Amino acid sequence: MTNIGKKTSLLTRRRALQGLGAGVGAMAATGVLPGLSRFAHAQSSAPIKIGFQMHATGIGAAYGRWYDRTTKAAVERINGMGGINGRPVEIVTEDDGTDPKRGAEVLEKFANQHGCDVAFGTLFSHVVIGSAPRAGELKLPYFVVSEGHHVASGMLNRYTLQPGITDVKSQVQSMAPFVAANLGKKVTMIFPDFAFGHDHRDFFTEAVTAQGGEVVAQIAIPPTETSFTRYFPNIPRDTDVIYHVMVGPAVLTFVKELGEFFGPSRPEIFGFIDSLEAVAINSPGLEFLEGTYFWEGNPRHAQADQSSHDKMYRAAVGVDDLGASVSDSKDVSTYAHMFGCWETLNIIKAGMEASGYQGPADRSKLIEAVEAMSDMPMSDDHPQGPKRFNGKTHQTFGVQYISKVTDGKLVVAHTASIDDGLYEDEVDYTTQSF
Amino acid sequence: MGVRNRHVDRIREMASGSCRARWAFVIRSFAIALVAVMLPGLAWAHAAEQGFVLLMPTDIYIAAGAATVAASIALVGLVPVQTVVRVFRPFPLRAMQCPEQAATVVSLLSTLLFLALIWLGFNGPNDPLANLLPLTIWTLLWVVFVVLQAVFGDLWRWLNPWTGLYRVVSASRTPLFQLPQAARSWFAVVLLILLNLFALADLAPDDPERLAVVALAYWVITFLGMLLFGAQDWLARVEVFSVFFRLMARLSPFRFGARPAIGWPGWQALERPQTDPSRAVFCLVLLGSGSFDGLHETFWWLAQIGINPLEFPGRSAVIWPSTLGLLAGNIVLVAIFALAVAAGVALAYGQEQRERLGPAFTAFSVSILPIALGYHVAHYLPSFLVQIQYVGAALGDPFGRGWHLFGLGHGHVTTGFLNNAATVRVLWLTQAGAVLASHVISVLMAHHVAVHLAQGRSAVLRCQAGLAVLMIVYTIFGLWLLASPRGV
Repeated sequence: MTNIGKKTSLLTRRRALQGLGAGVGAMAATGVLPGLSRFAHAQSSAPIKIGFQMHATGIGAAYGRWYDRTTKAAVERINGMGGINGRPVEIVTEDDGTDPKRGAEVLEKFANQHGCDVAFGTLFSHVVIGSAPRAGELKLPYFVVSEGHHVASGMLNRYTLQPGITDVKSQVQSMAPFVAANLGKKVTMIFPDFAFGHDHRDFFTEAVTAQGGEVVAQIAIPPTETSFTRYFPNIPRDTDVIYHVMVGPAVLTFVKELGEFFGPSRPEIFGFIDSLEAVAINSPGLEFLEGTYFWEGNPRHAQADQSSHDKMYRAAVGVDDLGASVSDSKDVSTYAHMFGCWETLNIIKAGMEASGYQGPADRSKLIEAVEAMSDMPMSDDHPQGPKRFNGKTHQTFGVQYISKVTDGKLVVAHTASIDDGLYEDEVDYTTQSF
Repeated sequence: MGVRNRHVDRIREMASGSCRARWAFVIRSFAIALVAVMLPGLAWAHAAEQGFVLLMPTDIYIAAGAATVAASIALVGLVPVQTVVRVFRPFPLRAMQCPEQAATVVSLLSTLLFLALIWLGFNGPNDPLANLLPLTIWTLLWVVFVVLQAVFGDLWRWLNPWTGLYRVVSASRTPLFQLPQAARSWFAVVLLILLNLFALADLAPDDPERLAVVALAYWVITFLGMLLFGAQDWLARVEVFSVFFRLMARLSPFRFGARPAIGWPGWQALERPQTDPSRAVFCLVLLGSGSFDGLHETFWWLAQIGINPLEFPGRSAVIWPSTLGLLAGNIVLVAIFALAVAAGVALAYGQEQRERLGPAFTAFSVSILPIALGYHVAHYLPSFLVQIQYVGAALGDPFGRGWHLFGLGHGHVTTGFLNNAATVRVLWLTQAGAVLASHVISVLMAHHVAVHLAQGRSAVLRCQAGLAVLMIVYTIFGLWLLASPRGV
């Protein structure tokens, strides 16, 4: 049942289910509808409803489109395997407009209008931060896929969990050992001059110092800047490696100007793929990236030692070996992040099965069941790699990939371990009451 | 009236003249304008969307665009005054009789379709990208239909969802009330601003349920207005879509109905001089709102309102800046336009001829319409190319049940052409071409208006001097908008 996003008037749905129930049940029992017989043994045949808070409009729409596609593929697979606790899964999609206030409104619709069991989705941190308090008030489990540190930092609540994607703090920290050991000890950081850039500056400076490295310069670029050449003379001559986390439409200009500034002799360069999500790495103007390194949440290009899980996951979502849509090779996916939707949905499934989830009355049991999770091996449920969930901080930890641009392809040069990304707990949500 | 008679005479004169010679003249005029528009295109080597656009030497393109418009102004100034007037003379077509009942039936079907869409808004998919109500209103009507009107003429006369039902229930009745003459079309101006505010500043104008409430309320209010004040008056002076679409239809080369004809785009808008100041402001608000729509996404605007363009906080954080910005943007445009017209009038007649300012302001405002349309095309083209794919998928699955009616919705929606340098370049060239072409048509229209306002070649040229400067500056502004980094 992939009845994605259909409005759910309780009265009409109940009637419809009553009407359909007898007929469908009879057909399923006799094998006329073999697909539906999978759900026949559940105590209730009503679907598990998962409210999908989607960036359908607003600045997150490019991510939202791929989060949507991954979500639909994951639900199709889950339903193909018999659903959750014998019940089909139904995704109820609402547009959060990539806006925190709208995000909170949407959660309310999930809980009060659509009768959703849990809420899920959304990437942008400000939407998560704006929505989470409402999830707490509604007592609605809210599974986010935002990679922000706000969950583990303790600023949210017991109803908000991030079990399917690692957070930025962990990602940045786990890069430091590789950078210091392989690219150089003297690092110049170039980052946008606001909270996002400051997080990178603070997390990485601390992490690379712990590895015996040194940040020799921190170059903060005003967010409205669209030309960068005048900042490059501030890069110390003895810099071994440049760490950049530029974002926004001027990223391509940044890369081009950096290439022009250094010419053929340049220091090593390390960046985060976020800035080039959905952009082909071999686009004209990006030639300078050849030989540079990127953090990737999940390797966009299929590797020589590609796992069967990644192969299965790509096929299910409809993504080719270069991370582009199978129906348009120019349509590059947000491959480094969208696996989080797939894995989160599988964790919701595992949590509901472990807690014997039957309905909204079991929501706290579901949260406790997820909190009890720890190591999750790489599998079809977790194609990005193994995870270790921290029930106290509601944050998962996982492997991180560092890829080198080689002949226009992203080739994994290093896989940072889960341990590389661990840090001390900053909160214990399990002490909060439901 | 005198002007109108002159025009009728010209149409008759043309009808009796050599058709082939006149066609050759029109084709030559098109060719000249096309070359003028395409020339700077040769300099656009690395155009692309957003990030790719920033890699382009946009300063050169902007200068080339401004030079093109300046050249078109100079060209118009050099050729004999009546040449441009002749460009806009239409060619009569053979009359085609369509029974009025057919229009009634089409409008009734449109009403049924509208109500079905409202039903979908309340009961269909929650995802605005899967629900045909927001897709129809914001993509098919607000984006596509505007262009169809401007290309093919007044289709709205048939397709609007009110007139058919009105004819059935109330055609013969005399309206109970009359709209005050002093109100002119000011209600339509207010509604246009409200409509833009809803689209730009509301938290979730795409939400199917929210949109269904607003659209249904508007439909009911409009129908009641027609019943109480008469369909003709209400649709011509209050109903914002009818006023908007009819203005756009006046840009179309085609006119159907009792006196069908074909001519250079804009000929219908020039057929009678515009005398209603509220209509003039309506034209300017069309352009002002469209321009602000583009402006409010730029880094520049976000910096003005203290928003980090790399961390846009969402619509809810900028409701008031967007609202006040839209209002202020329109006021500023009206003021600048008035100043430009005033400068021309002063140059043509001296300070003592101030009473000419009002009529000149109103008459020249029609020349804004092509620019408003050009910006509309340029602004919405990228999103249209994405949204129309969602429309296709939703047509194949209107109830969100995984259907593929008519074989639609099998493929995935793609935005690959926005992330690819080659296709983005084509897209940018098209957008810039729309802006430039609209300005060139606008220059020609302004000249035509000037010919009817002023006496003598010198006065004709002087009275459009201020507008000429405005056209060049607005071209620079429009291309700058296309080239600017955006944070929304």
